[in-house]
Amino acid sequence: MDGENKIVVRGAREHNLKNINVEIPRNQLTVITGLSGSGKSSLAFDTIYAEGQRRYIETFSAYARSFLGNMERPDVDEITGLSPVISIEQKTTNKNPRSTVGTVTEIYDFFRLLFARAGEAFSYNTGEKMVKYTDEQIINLIVEKFNGKRTMILAPVVRGRKGHYRELFEQIRKKGFLYARVDGEICEMSHGYKVDRYKIHSIEMVIDKLVVDESDRKRLRDSVNIAMKHGQGIIMILDQQTGDTRFFSRHLMCPATGISYNDPAPHSFSFNSPQGACHKCNGLGEITEIDFEKLVPDPALSIAQGGIAPLGPHKNTMIFWQIEALADKYGFTLKTPVGEIAEESLNAILFGTGERIQLKNSPLGSSIDYMMTYEGVVKYILNQKSDNPSKTAQKWADQFHKSMKCPECNGQRLQKEPLHFKIDGKNISELAQLDVCELSDFFEDIEKRLSSRQLQIATEVIKEIRTRLRFLIDVGLTYLSLDRPAGTLSGGESQRIRLATQIGSQLVNVLYILDEPSIGLHHRDNLRLIKSLQQLRDTGNSVVVVEHDRDMMLQADYLIDMGPMAGIHGGEVVAAGLPAEVLKSNTLTAQYLTGKKKIEIPSKHRPGNGKSLILKGASGNNLKNIDVEFPLGKFICVTGVSGSGKSTLINETLQPILSQYFYKSLLDPLAYISIEGIDLIDKVVQVDQSPHSCPKLKSGVISRDASRLMLKGDVAKNVKVPE
Amino acid sequence: MKVIEMNFLPDVYVHCDKCNGKRYNRETLEVRFKGKSISDVLDMTINQGVEFFESIPAIVHRLRTIQEVGLGYITLGQSSTTLSGGESQRVKLATELSKRDTGMTLYILDEPTTGLHFEDIRVLLEVLNKLVDKGNTVIVIEHNMEVIKVADHIIDIGPEGGKDGGRLLCSGSPEAIISMNQSYTAKYLKEEIGI
Repeated sequence: MDGENKIVVRGAREHNLKNINVEIPRNQLTVITGLSGSGKSSLAFDTIYAEGQRRYIETFSAYARSFLGNMERPDVDEITGLSPVISIEQKTTNKNPRSTVGTVTEIYDFFRLLFARAGEAFSYNTGEKMVKYTDEQIINLIVEKFNGKRTMILAPVVRGRKGHYRELFEQIRKKGFLYARVDGEICEMSHGYKVDRYKIHSIEMVIDKLVVDESDRKRLRDSVNIAMKHGQGIIMILDQQTGDTRFFSRHLMCPATGISYNDPAPHSFSFNSPQGACHKCNGLGEITEIDFEKLVPDPALSIAQGGIAPLGPHKNTMIFWQIEALADKYGFTLKTPVGEIAEESLNAILFGTGERIQLKNSPLGSSIDYMMTYEGVVKYILNQKSDNPSKTAQKWADQFHKSMKCPECNGQRLQKEPLHFKIDGKNISELAQLDVCELSDFFEDIEKRLSSRQLQIATEVIKEIRTRLRFLIDVGLTYLSLDRPAGTLSGGESQRIRLATQIGSQLVNVLYILDEPSIGLHHRDNLRLIKSLQQLRDTGNSVVVVEHDRDMMLQADYLIDMGPMAGIHGGEVVAAGLPAEVLKSNTLTAQYLTGKKKIEIPSKHRPGNGKSLILKGASGNNLKNIDVEFPLGKFICVTGVSGSGKSTLINETLQPILSQYFYKSLLDPLAYISIEGIDLIDKVVQVDQSPHSCPKLKSGVISRDASRLMLKGDVAKNVKVPE
Repeated sequence: MKVIEMNFLPDVYVHCDKCNGKRYNRETLEVRFKGKSISDVLDMTINQGVEFFESIPAIVHRLRTIQEVGLGYITLGQSSTTLSGGESQRVKLATELSKRDTGMTLYILDEPTTGLHFEDIRVLLEVLNKLVDKGNTVIVIEHNMEVIKVADHIIDIGPEGGKDGGRLLCSGSPEAIISMNQSYTAKYLKEEIGI
């Protein structure tokens, strides 16, 4: 290797690194491995990546840098041959519910473009295809359809709104139009004409009455033009014989009912834009509502026993006095089980009464009766949620809420209009619900199913969508759908998505640093992942991977083994070279790779205690109504390819059931029918998947110990332990 | 530590001249246990700590679990930002494991081998096996063949991801699993055991 072709690190001392020199070949796939804590990440991220980043920032002016904050200079003597560095880490990208796989991969942005420019609009009233015409087309159509018929040309000015419209009628009269069609009736515009202001009206100006005739196009054109001017681009033709009307428009419009859509723009398909987002849920697809089952968990309890959960058992407080007063009025007592209270009375308790109620004087100790309005339990909870800044109050209010699919958009996040634009019979949300594999099939032969005009517009966009889908498939993410919120992805998944976008960016001469990309990937998909890394290398980039996977190590062009042990006993390069060379050395990694050392398979398995936890009928997400038995007293491993439903089964069904049972947790499990044997265990401990877990917890361990030490210290001082 | 701001150069950290880097005030440092102040204790490694606090079960139990997950070499006062990914995960694991088990506890772990080397996995498996030997149950979601092959009981979900998944393919001991044909896990497990 000559100097141009390698990255040379001299004297790296970051964290536990022992003043080491490393050479990393450029344009190769390099794997750094070693024990946990041996200094792999210190070398790859804290030294090489940090320095690359710092040098980039250095190129900015001092003024710009003052905004960016400063990059720490890593503790290293010299790094040469460094190219621009991009790191792809495992940090779950974004917890924002507005971020989805589609938006992160930018495929959704191409969808929006595709639908805005090439989508076909359909009426949400009739399902009929929406049309838009030029003036010339309209005239041709009128001549064709109404030839020889007595017609009226109308310009719609008011559609379905209340008001008396006296001024409007006056204006019409002053402009010289004698007739208007009001709610389907032709009326003469006399002075002072008005309509009932409390009823809904539709008003059209009568522009012209004529018999359509091929030879008199000029009159037709003039009338259509005037009507267009008054009707803001929309005209109606009334067949005087049959009374049928037909709409024609310069905008997109349903020809039967006359509803019109605005011309679509990409942002009207975005649930993150006010133009596109569903008004009810603001584009989240979910709303939170008060859950009445949580308000009244057990109808057999009375109010005094705590039958209404937010109130708790009876206390001598204002709200119970109020309910007592209600009870007198509606004829129940605080001792009646909630289930037996009449619905009307229960509604009064929950939602309040409009009228003022009379409080008994006794509890207040005053001689006058109080009159006050009672606002209801629900109002109180809502107020706590929206106005009370304290976290405890928020949490308290949250426990009575449940999130549910937005009823307005049915979880599709968009307004009605954009959802009625379709490509090959599917709207944008339906496409986003397909998983990457199905989507790829859909776009495979889409050309055959598009009109030539659509095809002309969409060719480039479809090409982009296809390549991006290809990359997602290459990194093994075939099972994700584009509407999956980015926050619900595992660390490995979000890292692979970023990898897919990077491969798509087609940059060359970049140094990519990845942290364990194989995490969460089944063996089957591992080879595909390695291939996409090699592809990244073959386009002219250097790839450095911190990895423990056997296949990845063996497939590498260059392998660096850190060690010999972890922490202060690590931080050195114990072997480096081609994988075959490293195998010949005697490091821990080499011993495991060659099979000299291995994790022994136990000769026999524990029999367990013969009892089992049985989960029946689990059907959340993609689970197919399965019954699973977990034999107790055993080491159980749940496995399967990525996306097969392991996490759904364990993390979203079993674990919430148990947490609810043992810790009264508020998280609802996904659908299941029954669970048996829950009494055979007495608690559940979960260690979840957060790869580079938070420092808080760690410091928690230590500070807890530390504070105990302090306590012990105090004891020591008091009893005067001799030094 | 004290931060000296250098404006457009990186901040410089120097030893605080008041406490000499011990982070506590004089009065606190005067309090000693077995001749060591709290600052001295924080400079100990976990291994040393286990010896030092031998007689105090509450502390030693916690320290032992950290030692058992193979982190005996870190110091008690080590800044958590200097721990590697695998280390910090194991500290987390140790915290959970230090909660007293009852012999009837169910542990659920989601891909605990993230960021772990073969040797680390061996240590981790030892800890988990100890738990099971006491009668507890451990459920692990895992792709790593090293872990799958030593499990007592395997539950394989599949066969594919997404809509073609979600079925219970097979369950049983590793030996029983490998005879299954449609399971990808079985295919790779066969190779793994065959080595």
